[in-house]
Amino acid sequence: MTDQNVALPALVPADASRGRQLLRRLLRDKIALFMLVLLVVIVLAAVFAPFLTPFDPYRTSLRSRNMPPDLVHWLGTDEQGRDLVARVLFGIRLTLASGFTSLFLGGFTGTIIGVTAAYYKRADNLLMRAMDVLLSFPAILLGLAIAGIWGPGTWGIIFALAISTIPPVARVARAAALGVVNQDYLVAARALGLGDFAILHRYVLRNCATSVLVYVTLRFGQVILLGASLSFLGLGAPPPSAELGTMVSQGRSLLFTAPHVALVPCFALFLIVLVLNVLGDAARDIFDPKVQQ
Amino acid sequence: MLRVIVKRLMVSIPVLLGVLFIGFMLLVVVPSDPAAIIAGEGATPEILAGLHHDLGLDRPVMERFALYIARVLQGDLGKSVLNRAPVIDELLRTIGPTAELMFCAMLVAVPLGIGMGTLGAVTRGRWIDRVVMMVSVAGLSMPGFMIALLGIEYFGLQWGLLPFQGRGGPLWTWDGLAHMVLPAVSLGSILIGPIARMTRTSMLDVLGLDFVRTARAKGLGETRVVLKHALRTALIPVVTLIGLQAGYLLGGAVVTETIFAWPGIGRLAVSAITSSDFPMAQGTILMLALSFIIINLMVDLIYSWLDPRMRQ
Repeated sequence: MTDQNVALPALVPADASRGRQLLRRLLRDKIALFMLVLLVVIVLAAVFAPFLTPFDPYRTSLRSRNMPPDLVHWLGTDEQGRDLVARVLFGIRLTLASGFTSLFLGGFTGTIIGVTAAYYKRADNLLMRAMDVLLSFPAILLGLAIAGIWGPGTWGIIFALAISTIPPVARVARAAALGVVNQDYLVAARALGLGDFAILHRYVLRNCATSVLVYVTLRFGQVILLGASLSFLGLGAPPPSAELGTMVSQGRSLLFTAPHVALVPCFALFLIVLVLNVLGDAARDIFDPKVQQ
Repeated sequence: MLRVIVKRLMVSIPVLLGVLFIGFMLLVVVPSDPAAIIAGEGATPEILAGLHHDLGLDRPVMERFALYIARVLQGDLGKSVLNRAPVIDELLRTIGPTAELMFCAMLVAVPLGIGMGTLGAVTRGRWIDRVVMMVSVAGLSMPGFMIALLGIEYFGLQWGLLPFQGRGGPLWTWDGLAHMVLPAVSLGSILIGPIARMTRTSMLDVLGLDFVRTARAKGLGETRVVLKHALRTALIPVVTLIGLQAGYLLGGAVVTETIFAWPGIGRLAVSAITSSDFPMAQGTILMLALSFIIINLMVDLIYSWLDPRMRQ
């Protein structure tokens, strides 16, 4: 019997009404709405970066070094004469892409571990203790360790952030899944002949999805900050790359003569993370049943 | 209380083993062969094999791990590849300044965060509360190095008020204190936002509880109700939060030390890794992970002291 043949009660409320409800709440929150628009603008700017700026983020020009912002170079140029608008746009692109990748990898693995721990009682203790060990490695430390093994690089940072995302996501997913695994309808589904995989997929995972997504949204900003710190420390891709953290550390020695070289990427990071944090808070408020009443 | 300590220590043992294992693997998986370095260029395979045997590199990994633990327990962490200095000496030399920095950062962050959060909760919904919330979200969104760079730019360079390079000596001297201000404030600033938010939320919960109403009904002034009665209860989740953020603080310390040339263990770790000094890198990572475990242990103890329910 395949699971398509079994008529099962809809557990998750119809997606359309949920989405409309969400949108209505979001519209009521003016600040969150503004941040959402800003996020869309930032993401579009990052995606279309090559078309938005006439300058090449890697092309150096010794004649126009450390120029303060003017009409040609809106945010000025850095110590190699590269246009900072172009570099920041490409930096945002890299930052968002690596942040998203690490959250996806960590969130995916963490969810599977958490759900497995909740569903298979025998694996629970072992898996969650392993998560505790992992949790005792702060993300920066993981980044240092991975850079120590592989040498500096963007993928090292992504992996460090992904690994540090696994334990908290596993905890969130496990807690959400535990609320489902003892429900009567799971017993009913099993009695109807549904296999473990189908049950996990159809009921348990879907019920965890909201909690995990809210957590991951809240974590996005933090992951970006950690990644920026790691690349600031020189553990990311080597200097010519337009990584925001690397750009800040390159501009650090110029604070006295050309402070904008370090401060522009700083503010770019601040803006992205602020937008993500405010939106993450809004997402949590919307989905938190306590706030809904 | 003693039982809590013992129980927590027992839980820490597997974590410690995990940390040691990862630290050990760090040296196992690095691409460079120690025997090749010792033998130098042009060494025959026979010489290399002999060295492998002498160094114990031909034994199974788990056996080497056991030997490694035995070595670490005796305080032998190897020698720096760069200057042959024993790793343990360097670690002991740098852990002090790092502890000092983290302590001062907490001294900045904890009172400020708790103060801001309490203020926000008491003035809920009014403009003071809004300002507090805005400042804490902004603080939460700033990269750790941003405050540091702004501080260097203005207080250090433009206005020339504070030094920003290295450690000036013991804290009780004027110079030592001046050198501490910028690093401590920039490290502490990453914690203010989270602490303020958590204090506000928790305070709002507590202010709605029965015992607060009783205290008010007794005729106590609002200040006394908030500071003497509510705050102590409201602080319990804040302490947990500080424990959870300890890793973040440790990571922040690595960044702060690098920026301010602070002679601590974080800066040592970064320079060891960027210069491929593997034994030193391994030692610093072990030491940092160990400090993280110890901080969490301490937080748990404070927690059980604050919340009598935890002692059972």
